[in-house]
Amino acid sequence: MLLQLNNIFKWVQQGGQRIFLLKDVNLEVEEGEFISIMGPSGSGKSTLLNVIGMLDTFNEGEYEFLSESVHTLKEKYRSNLYKEYIGFVFQSYHLLDELTVEENLEMPLLYKKVKGSERKALVADMLDRFNIVGKKDLFPTQLSGGQQQLVGVARALIGKPKLILADEPTGNLNSQQSEEIMQLFQKLNKEDGVTIIQVTHSEKNAEYGSRIINLLDGRKI
Amino acid sequence: MFKNHIKIAWRSLKKQAFFTFLNTFGLAIGMAGALIISLYIYDELSYDKMFADADRIHRIDADIKFGGAEIKAAESAPPMAGALKRDYSQVESTVRFRTLGSMYVKKVGGETSSKENKVTYADSTFFEFFGIDLLVGNSKTALTGTNSLVLTKTAAEKYFGSTDVLGQDLLLNNSDTYTVTGVIEDMPKNSYFNEYSVFLAMAGNVASREELWGSNNYFTFIKLIPEARVEDFQAPLQGMLERYMLPWAQKYFPGMTAESFAASGNYIRYHTMALTDIHLHSDRNSEMNATSSIQNIYILSFIGLFLIILASVNFMNLSTAHSLKRAKEVGVRKTLGSNKLNLIFQFLTESGLIAFISLIAALLITMITLPFFNGFTGKVITIPFTQPLFWLILLAATIVLGLFSGCYPAFFMSRFTPVKTLKGGASESVGNGRVRNALVIFQFSISVFLIVSTLVVFQQLNYIQSKDLGFTKDQVLLINEISPLGSKTNAFKEEILKMGNVENVTLSDFYPTPSWRSDSSFFQEGASSQESAIQMQTWGVDTDYLKTLQMNIVAGRDFNKQYATDSTAVIINEATLPILNVTAEEALGMRISEEIELENPTYYTVIGVVKDFHFKSLRENIGALGLHVNKTAENMAVRLSGGDYSNSIAEIENKWNEMAPGQPFDYQFMDEAFNTTYEAELKLSQIFFIFTILSIFIACLGLFGLAAFNAEKRTKEIGVRKVLGATVSQISYRLTVDFLKLVGIAILVSLPLGWFAMNKWLEDFSYRIDMGVGVFVLAAVLSIVVAIVTVSYQSIKAAIVNPVKSLRSE
Ligand SMILES: Nc1ncnc2c1ncn2[C@@H]1O[C@H](COP(=O)(O)OP(=O)(O)O)[C@@H](O)[C@H]1O
Ligand SMILES: [Mg+2]
Repeated sequence: MLLQLNNIFKWVQQGGQRIFLLKDVNLEVEEGEFISIMGPSGSGKSTLLNVIGMLDTFNEGEYEFLSESVHTLKEKYRSNLYKEYIGFVFQSYHLLDELTVEENLEMPLLYKKVKGSERKALVADMLDRFNIVGKKDLFPTQLSGGQQQLVGVARALIGKPKLILADEPTGNLNSQQSEEIMQLFQKLNKEDGVTIIQVTHSEKNAEYGSRIINLLDGRKI
Repeated sequence: MFKNHIKIAWRSLKKQAFFTFLNTFGLAIGMAGALIISLYIYDELSYDKMFADADRIHRIDADIKFGGAEIKAAESAPPMAGALKRDYSQVESTVRFRTLGSMYVKKVGGETSSKENKVTYADSTFFEFFGIDLLVGNSKTALTGTNSLVLTKTAAEKYFGSTDVLGQDLLLNNSDTYTVTGVIEDMPKNSYFNEYSVFLAMAGNVASREELWGSNNYFTFIKLIPEARVEDFQAPLQGMLERYMLPWAQKYFPGMTAESFAASGNYIRYHTMALTDIHLHSDRNSEMNATSSIQNIYILSFIGLFLIILASVNFMNLSTAHSLKRAKEVGVRKTLGSNKLNLIFQFLTESGLIAFISLIAALLITMITLPFFNGFTGKVITIPFTQPLFWLILLAATIVLGLFSGCYPAFFMSRFTPVKTLKGGASESVGNGRVRNALVIFQFSISVFLIVSTLVVFQQLNYIQSKDLGFTKDQVLLINEISPLGSKTNAFKEEILKMGNVENVTLSDFYPTPSWRSDSSFFQEGASSQESAIQMQTWGVDTDYLKTLQMNIVAGRDFNKQYATDSTAVIINEATLPILNVTAEEALGMRISEEIELENPTYYTVIGVVKDFHFKSLRENIGALGLHVNKTAENMAVRLSGGDYSNSIAEIENKWNEMAPGQPFDYQFMDEAFNTTYEAELKLSQIFFIFTILSIFIACLGLFGLAAFNAEKRTKEIGVRKVLGATVSQISYRLTVDFLKLVGIAILVSLPLGWFAMNKWLEDFSYRIDMGVGVFVLAAVLSIVVAIVTVSYQSIKAAIVNPVKSLRSE
């Protein structure tokens, strides 16, 4: 078992009223799964993903990640946990504009305090694997959207995470670029055993995964 | 990681060139200002510390009250030094100076004299006492013989072209021949003896060997032995009063005892003044050299600190406003595993980098501006590039500044949460800017405070310059040192009187401009006890004095050439009346004398009372004064009628050269002489002015940057408003008025502070302005106008953008 959510509630207080963003969500994820979260806009998909990624807190319920109770952990340990095991991929890539492709890839390793020589090797490896060696000295703004997302995925992967969380990773891409990214996800899942949870609006993309979770108004249906 | 931080910092600074420029420029200006002020203060604090044993050297000062006048004397009686050395084992050695002011010097057989501004008699112990080495000559004997003198290197080279001048002769004031017995380096600029260039052997000053305890003319320095504590020396020093001063006084005032002396309210209080304290802490009536005041150091320190804080606040403001752009980056970094500390460190690296770039810019600015600054402070301050300590302090200060300025933005930005920032709600994360607003208020408060201060200082100076002084100082030409004319003096006066543009000419001991003068004791006829002594100044003048200077008689009459008896007549000023306890009319006919102890004292009869005129600085009240006729006075004042002065001056100079060939013609206009008295204030006002401008400039840089970011943040809002029909002026008004509120609050905060501080400053002047509302209104209006001009550029720029553009980019 990779992670388990039990009766998760999340709400915000608005005008003396509780607005629920997540309502009694239960979820078990085994290592090696490829899950797609679907649902209409505003149904709480991103919120759920952020909770899983420990970027956001929740108000009630329990969350266990690799047998650690996330809800009882201090922030510092939580960030150590996700730094170690989770990689994020975003709809709008969120690469750092001031850094080259190579430096963007290197970033997570720096935060993990990986040694210089090892860093170089890992980055070279990743550039190779994603076929972007020729682009390594370019800045993100010099790349197409698909290429940027490729770098985004590579950056998420470089720390060898057990889990990749992707919030509408193809939302800004055309269909051909989308397919490339999905095939990449599938390959990572199958060959490297990386667990993937993605949010998507497209039935087609969802089919790459092994399981679909539907959300409506913060509730799993 | 650190290398990575530097790299990223450099790139993001480069990318945000405008922001980086504002930040760096503001910081650099602040740093340059603070650096210049620091160097200036360092120089002021370094005075006289270069002398060996400076910490053991003290001057004997005395507070004297005698006959109604109080004198803060820096000079002592001639026998004081000898007596102290003889009586007290704590005193290792002594040296005395008897200053002579300026003198005309020339090589014996030379053609023309040249003026040495600072000449003094000095005891032969001078060189050993201060640890001064002679370039040529013997330090022990150089100042022992009468008519020997020691020159500074500059002076020696001026007269002889070299320093190898032992045994050469110089003619002083065209009458006395002196032999050069030594040459020393020029006295340090930052010493009490700055610009003294000629030292005459004290042996030539007869009075220096007399037991005259009543005349205080000798600047007396003592060096205590290393074991002695100066606090313990004060009581023994005061012992000189009973041991020497009073016994001497009893010769003139028989029956006077320590008790009766004290009972009459008189006193003489001796104390020491450390050599190294003289420049900033001395408050004596006269000094060997112009001194400064510690108050100015405090004021300057505050201004320096203000500048740095202003620049630093600017930095904080711009950085946090700028964080709008950095919010996404913070979010991404956090999801990649960065913790808060990492981010704080990264942002501090950036501010450190900006601080270092600013440092380089500041050094450049300082190098360029220092010569101008030196120009009007009269100093020779340089940047001590070769001193490791300077760099150490500079680097340390830069790091501290970078950390101080960077820490608020760093903590502020590291708090951003990824969930919020990545969703694009960056403007939310940037917050409502309450702290930023507070900082803008703070900056403008300082600026408004400085504006008020500058205006008040200017007003007071203007007041001084235009005040009715009791005489007319304009269009008066002063010719100093007319003694070379000798017996031709009166002929010269007659010749000048004949010239077309000349209205009047007078000869006198003193002009009514502040200069060194001493009071003497006068006694009313019939009252001979020392309690009834009147301390007053007496000036010898000729019969044209009041007419030439356009002074007014309030009772009695002016001197008249026709009356032979006027040689023993005196005209007193109004300030003397309360001391005599009479009205102006009653004073007429009174007789006073200085020589009460003599058998047949000479009495002066009061024939007139002149309206009070200012002859001291306006910081002081007008004291008692008597004018009497003296035909051998040394200064000439010429009143010119309008027209071209340069012609008149040339005409007078021609006549001078004809009647006193080879003698320098030394003249100056009275209003200029008057202004030198207020040089300290003038300099202060200039410094105020410069740094006020700087601080306003820095504050405006900050405001400008903030306005830019504010406009950017509201691009979408502005776009929507325009689509809905808002006009450019409506929008610019909206954007501008927010900032004006802040400036308004700043004005309310700082005006009372300014009023309070400037009241304190004005208290130093006996004659001063009333601070009207005008100053405050003007300061307020000025700051508002400056703020509007600064902000409206950004506001209008934002308002005229095509809304289609700003809305599409969202
Ligand atoms: N901090 C918040 N305060 C109030 N409402 C929020 C907050 N965060 C999210 N929401 C609301 O919760 C709902 C779920 O948001 P989100 O998880 O982003 O939806 P999705 O990703 O499925 O489109 C939305 O209606 C959103 O407006
Ligand atoms: Mg979403």
